[in-house]
Amino acid sequence: MKAFEWANPTTLVEAVQLLKSAPAGGDVDEAARPMAGGQDLLTTMKDYSTRPSRVVNLKNIRGLDTIQANAKSGLNIGALVTLSQLEEHAGVRAGFPGLAEAAHSIATPQIRNLGTVGGNLCQRPRCWYYRLEEVICLKKGGTECYAAKGENKYNAILGGGPSYIVHPSDLAPMLMALGASVSVVGADGKRVIPLDKFFTLPSENIRRENVLRNDEIITHIQVPASPIAARSTYLKFKERESMDFAMAAVAAALQLGPNNQVAQARLVLGGVAPIPWRAPQAEAFLLGKTLSNEVLEQAANLALAGAQPLEKNGYKVPLTKTLVRRALATAGAL
Amino acid sequence: MADDSDEGKNQSRGPHDASRRRFLKGVGIAGAGAALADQLLIEAQAQDTKPKDVRTLSGNVDVTLNVNGQRRKAKVEPRTTLLSALRDHLEPAVTGPKLVCDMGTCGACTVLLDGKSAYSCLVLAVDATARQITTVEGLGGPDAMNAVQTAFVDKDALMCGFCTPGFVTTISAYLKKNPNPSLDQVREACKGNFCRCGTYPRVFEAALAAAKSVNRES
Amino acid sequence: MQQAPPKKKKVRVPRVVNGVETMVEIEVDDVGGPSWGPNDKHTLLNHHLRRVDGPLKVSGVAEYTYDKRLSGMLHGRVLGSPHAHARVIKVDTTAAGRIPGVKAVVSITDKPVQPAAAATGVEKPAEPKGTFVHFAGEPVAAVAADTPEIAQDAIQAIKVEYEVLPHVVRADEALKETSPKVYPDGNLKPRDSQGYATRVAAAWDKCDVIIEAEYRTPIIHHASLETHGHVVDFRGGDTATVYASTQGTFTIPGDAAKELGLKESDVTAIVEHMGGGFGSKFGIGIEGQLACRLAKQAKAPVKLMLTRRDEFLLAGNRSGSWQKFKAGATKDGTLVALQALQYQLGGLSDGSQAGQPYIYRVTNSYRERFAVFTHEDSSRAMRAPGHPQASYAIECLMEDLADKLGMDPLEFRKKNLRDKVYHRQLDRGAREIGWDRRSKPAGGAAGPFKRGIGCAVGTWGGGGNNQCKVDVTISRDGSVVVAVGTQDLGTGTRTYTRAIVAEELGLQPKDIIEKIGSSALGSANASGGSTTSASLAPSVKNGAYKARIAVAEKVALLLGGVKPEEIKFADGNVSGGGKSLSWKQACAALPAAGVTAQGLWQVELSATGVHGVCFAEVEVDVETGRVRPLKMVHVQDIGLPLNRLAVESQINGGMIQSLGMALWEERVMDARLGIQLNPGFGDYKLPGTAEMPELVAIIDDDDKREAVIGVGEPAIIPSVGALANAVFNAIGIRVHDLPITPDKILMALTNRRATT
Repeated sequence: MKAFEWANPTTLVEAVQLLKSAPAGGDVDEAARPMAGGQDLLTTMKDYSTRPSRVVNLKNIRGLDTIQANAKSGLNIGALVTLSQLEEHAGVRAGFPGLAEAAHSIATPQIRNLGTVGGNLCQRPRCWYYRLEEVICLKKGGTECYAAKGENKYNAILGGGPSYIVHPSDLAPMLMALGASVSVVGADGKRVIPLDKFFTLPSENIRRENVLRNDEIITHIQVPASPIAARSTYLKFKERESMDFAMAAVAAALQLGPNNQVAQARLVLGGVAPIPWRAPQAEAFLLGKTLSNEVLEQAANLALAGAQPLEKNGYKVPLTKTLVRRALATAGAL
Repeated sequence: MADDSDEGKNQSRGPHDASRRRFLKGVGIAGAGAALADQLLIEAQAQDTKPKDVRTLSGNVDVTLNVNGQRRKAKVEPRTTLLSALRDHLEPAVTGPKLVCDMGTCGACTVLLDGKSAYSCLVLAVDATARQITTVEGLGGPDAMNAVQTAFVDKDALMCGFCTPGFVTTISAYLKKNPNPSLDQVREACKGNFCRCGTYPRVFEAALAAAKSVNRES
Repeated sequence: MQQAPPKKKKVRVPRVVNGVETMVEIEVDDVGGPSWGPNDKHTLLNHHLRRVDGPLKVSGVAEYTYDKRLSGMLHGRVLGSPHAHARVIKVDTTAAGRIPGVKAVVSITDKPVQPAAAATGVEKPAEPKGTFVHFAGEPVAAVAADTPEIAQDAIQAIKVEYEVLPHVVRADEALKETSPKVYPDGNLKPRDSQGYATRVAAAWDKCDVIIEAEYRTPIIHHASLETHGHVVDFRGGDTATVYASTQGTFTIPGDAAKELGLKESDVTAIVEHMGGGFGSKFGIGIEGQLACRLAKQAKAPVKLMLTRRDEFLLAGNRSGSWQKFKAGATKDGTLVALQALQYQLGGLSDGSQAGQPYIYRVTNSYRERFAVFTHEDSSRAMRAPGHPQASYAIECLMEDLADKLGMDPLEFRKKNLRDKVYHRQLDRGAREIGWDRRSKPAGGAAGPFKRGIGCAVGTWGGGGNNQCKVDVTISRDGSVVVAVGTQDLGTGTRTYTRAIVAEELGLQPKDIIEKIGSSALGSANASGGSTTSASLAPSVKNGAYKARIAVAEKVALLLGGVKPEEIKFADGNVSGGGKSLSWKQACAALPAAGVTAQGLWQVELSATGVHGVCFAEVEVDVETGRVRPLKMVHVQDIGLPLNRLAVESQINGGMIQSLGMALWEERVMDARLGIQLNPGFGDYKLPGTAEMPELVAIIDDDDKREAVIGVGEPAIIPSVGALANAVFNAIGIRVHDLPITPDKILMALTNRRATT
């Protein structure tokens, strides 16, 4: 890990100033970094893929570590809320079961005790080429995505190119399915970004995975109260159950009408694309349908219709289809 | 728009000075979320009534860590992990937590921060100064083992022993939270701890036996 | 009594060099001595004994090499090559050396290092002058600094100029004519052949079924939780102490002395506790050589423990395998012909693989073994070197043949296994797993969650040798010390050493002090090939027996002059002639210096040759490819189990490591870059708590041999095959290479659907 300056602001304004004013602020990997739980940031600093000259500790800023649940307005989740807090929160479990499931599926109890909601959304890629110190891949400013023609078992089947990372967050697909947005503060002020518009494809910006600028900090995540929240579920498939990122995952949320026909559907895939991957065709198809095996099957086919597997990740297509079917079935039965 | 050069020079400002107002300029109203964030920012300002310096640390810094109930001083760098501070920088060292993967992927360095399990390789020492740190040594010594430690010895839940402090720490904390776990809950609680010798089945037995013995006593 | 010169006798024993076992003939004194007696008559041995170092380990007090902190100690780090094959043009350490707190910098261009393992009998690369690296991660420089953080900065500051050379890291590629040559003679080295190819060729006609198949296993890592490394306490001067995480206390001083320029006798190795080795830790290795050089340069103690990444890259591995078969049997299930082509994939070294047809009786068989070289770190011994690979492949083949014959694979095995012990163990395991519930035919269960049961068998030698010298000292205050330089890898050496002495003297383990883990103590063998207990336990027993007789001789008069051999030592009392003394009273009769006896190895107290079977049940989700292990049963004969608790733990450990090899673990290399992609526990996936099936470790007590045999290695051998066969039984498709991951299962099922 490169030496850095440790800064302890107590207000967001100070934090933003500290991020903005740090030297070498241009390159995303050299810029000052905000740190919440540090559970991902420290690993990227240990392998030198991130080399900030200043780390801005957010944990002394008050007001960012609570969950407010309100029947009308939904959830307002402070960015510093830990994943453990989220998974154990009674209001989340009762009203947004998929979100509690997504939180619970992450890493290990130890990581969930420190890792935060904001940090989870801002994780850097897990692609092993990216994580190796000696490999300067496209995402690190190099010239090639080595996964494209290399060991790409865990890489993207959707939305890939020129880099084929998958987004590692488990909360992101679920939050996106729930229609969440993030509040962000930065030197230019505040903005609220729907999660649908938060993540960026490598084709849009090769060095980053989201629209945040170097001086911006997520302060809150808002999850609207919605009839789909109660029928939400997150189904994550890990190669190793004890501790793993998703080989594929599905976040599903449904509203069923009086005759059990689908009134609203949100379907977001995780672990298969550089960003959480909405499946709008499948969502549209589901409207008005009752969930039969055939409907599930067709929805799954539509969700994966655009998949373009690489040499070693073709299995992700049938795998993700299974998860889509099962997640929808679960959401429908809730 | 914020004025970069101005901000960089002076990080210590009261809540009502000009740059802050500039900072707040351009805030749009975009639904309930924005309103909440807005409110927060105002709250943050209200709490920050006294101008004060932002604390920054670099180079070699002195920290005081509260380890197993003792205040322990060490010279570290901001980048020094809590694990390294315990093992390499405190004198005498606290070596119960083991350095195995240094990437938060094995659990051998597990300590308790304010009673909750955490990987001490993924915590900075400078970030742990306000915490109550408990290592396996703080749970019980060889002559005064806690129920989990006793059960580990009784059930042979260890072989080379390198993962053992992490498991003991994780399980000791978990049984406080859930004194009467099922086998599946124990497995779930220990997902973040890995062993190579293959002690898992007996770790499970030990955790369940420890729970029983604690419940008997209480 | 007149002392006749002891008779000598010749015995063949296993000796282990770098974890690799070879049989040698030695001459030992034919002195008689004690026997263990019946296995069911022990008071401590063959019982469930608590680990004596347990309390230290569960409280974090046990001090491992990694925990050592000496005053003025520096922290060492290694810089490895990012290239699989390159000439090192220049190592510029100037900037690193200038960093405040950096106390020593060494580079391989100053002096090359000796690898821990290498290919045998091949000409070394005849590369022109210069310094070369032959695998990614191979050390080129090392530093020592005041703190680990500064050492890391120094590593970053070293500039190395390489001329990158062509590499090959895939066996398939290495076999091509056009491939870069790892050694001047090429990448393929014949190892041996056995049997008659012509007879096999003539026998195919007699077969009713014939199958051709190949099976592959990847390179597996030892993944010891304590990485390789040392604390070299050398501050100039004439002596040094080396704290080592090693499987061989006595493999350290010689290696270290060479580097430090000292006499071997002036270097003491200390191995108080160690965090796992599994065959990878013999001698000081490259990291130890570098640590010694750094200490010598800095004139200060240096701790150099490999980082986890370096541990993956340069600390050895289990060689991969690629085995091609053609085999045939008659309708009644008799194996008639078998032909095997075995490639050992050991990177820069030979690798290891037991010869086929392994333990099966085949009327006509022929096999050839080759080493295939690649630009990868040398493999080393790993828990039963070569056996899990061979057992897995032949057991898949047997299952596939039985399937094709429509025969119960258990019956098929029995038909072709000569040794009745296997029959006994197979029956026992079958009962325990519920073999009758097995899916017939394979893949026949309804629904997406399909269960399957499989089995496999293994064999191992083990046995002991005469390298241990054990000193047992009994003092006048009743204290008992047993001292020998051996090491406890977590196998329970300390515990049984105490227990043997305690049982012999009628005491409890807590009454005995064991001193181990120092080369200043009596010599001992390195822990490889499961030879530790079979070498050490007899020597401890012999020493304890001699000490007992020495005490008996001193107290005989107090007991009315009974014969020393007739004095009973039991329950803390020493009794004979109708009288009884407490242990303390008896010891009070000893001379001021107490009594000391040296225990030597007795061949009769050890044995060699074990079997072992494993059964596994899994559930496969054919819609996701997930394999969920449900239950594993391992039945193992080991003669006299010294400590049932520890033996069962070791059997559990063998099953769990096999589980990892079968379902998750593999070194992943990028062919183009020549580097390992998963040198960490995030991507190299060890099984964790959520992966654990129900594990049943069964000690085969029908083995009545009153002799000690090691259990470490046999416990890992058959379970890989059992798991692979359970998956086959569940889904009816063979996945031909390990690990059996969801992607392979899904693609196999997809391909089958496409073709049917």
